Amino acid sequence: MSTILTIKNLKYRRNQHVLLHDAQLTLTSGKIVGLLGENGAGKTTLMRLITGLAQGQGVIDVAGATSPVARKRQVSFSDALNGFMASAKVQKIVQFYQLVYPDFNRQRYAQLADFLGLRADAKLNTLSKGTREKLVIALTLSRQVALYLLDEPFSGIDSMSRKKIINSIIKWLPTDATLVISDHYVAEIAPILDEIVVVKDQTIAVHVATETIRDQEHQDIQDYYEQLYEGGEQHDA
Amino acid sequence: MQFDDKVPIYYQIKQYVYQQIITGKWQPGTQLPAVRQLAVELTVNVNTVQRALRELIAAQILISKRGKGNFVTTDQTTLATLADQLVQDRLGAVYDDLRALNLTDQQIITAMQTYIEKRGRQDEHDFND
Repeated sequence: MSTILTIKNLKYRRNQHVLLHDAQLTLTSGKIVGLLGENGAGKTTLMRLITGLAQGQGVIDVAGATSPVARKRQVSFSDALNGFMASAKVQKIVQFYQLVYPDFNRQRYAQLADFLGLRADAKLNTLSKGTREKLVIALTLSRQVALYLLDEPFSGIDSMSRKKIINSIIKWLPTDATLVISDHYVAEIAPILDEIVVVKDQTIAVHVATETIRDQEHQDIQDYYEQLYEGGEQHDA
Repeated sequence: MQFDDKVPIYYQIKQYVYQQIITGKWQPGTQLPAVRQLAVELTVNVNTVQRALRELIAAQILISKRGKGNFVTTDQTTLATLADQLVQDRLGAVYDDLRALNLTDQQIITAMQTYIEKRGRQDEHDFND
């Protein structure tokens, strides 16, 4: 078990506003981690900082890579595919991924596409929301990296697609890699999470193993998470 | 499989394995599915399945063969102990519940007999329908 991600004293400001401060986090290999927080809490910002798409102050180390350029080689971040033309075919997008990411594994993609039922000749604008998300997942997991970041893959997705996506994660996540999956509703993914990380009050407020919550607090993960928000400020004293 | 998210998942996976063994779905000597396959079937984390299996191997209910996988034990004594343990656990839970309702041991026995007789008639009736 090695360290995959180390964040030390991370601070991020935008337009005079502090969006993240004093953030500390260490993730080890082979884990599925839920990144939780209200809408606007800074989950996506944190993922962008880890990937190197946003620049903050402090240390971010992904499997030994500290510069944004080096980190991009170690991180596969789910992309909403908004950069592609609406009429782009799936196979064109796959070709683009192969071109830009030397670690993109064509064989893995073929297996994932087969499992998720993705057709190579389908156009991006004809895909349902669920199928589009399946494509995002297949592309993200087909890279071979230390850290995978999935930004709210389940928002607005039907339960069958969700189950299929969850199963594809269990099946294809490399043993030594770690996957961070953000969501504001944890109940539906709780059984597959090793740990949860909660972004609250502009910092990383909680990092705990899910089995610890069940074992010691005798609570389900959703209740535990919601209770962090009850009483609010008085916990922060 | 639906899990109770208030109870550690590894514990529930162990219960699932016991269930498979006791009901005979997994006969003595049967090879278990691969860890990842089991994780997909149960929609749980691979690490959690591994933890459950590790404990079952330590308890010698499963036998791990290097490079071959995990197998249900063929040791009849271990299996009999397991079956007995499961029955004891469930009886214990029912007993504690009924005692908590202030029933005496004799009342529990009487209530249990009445319930079984009534239930037996019901099931027979359902069967004949």
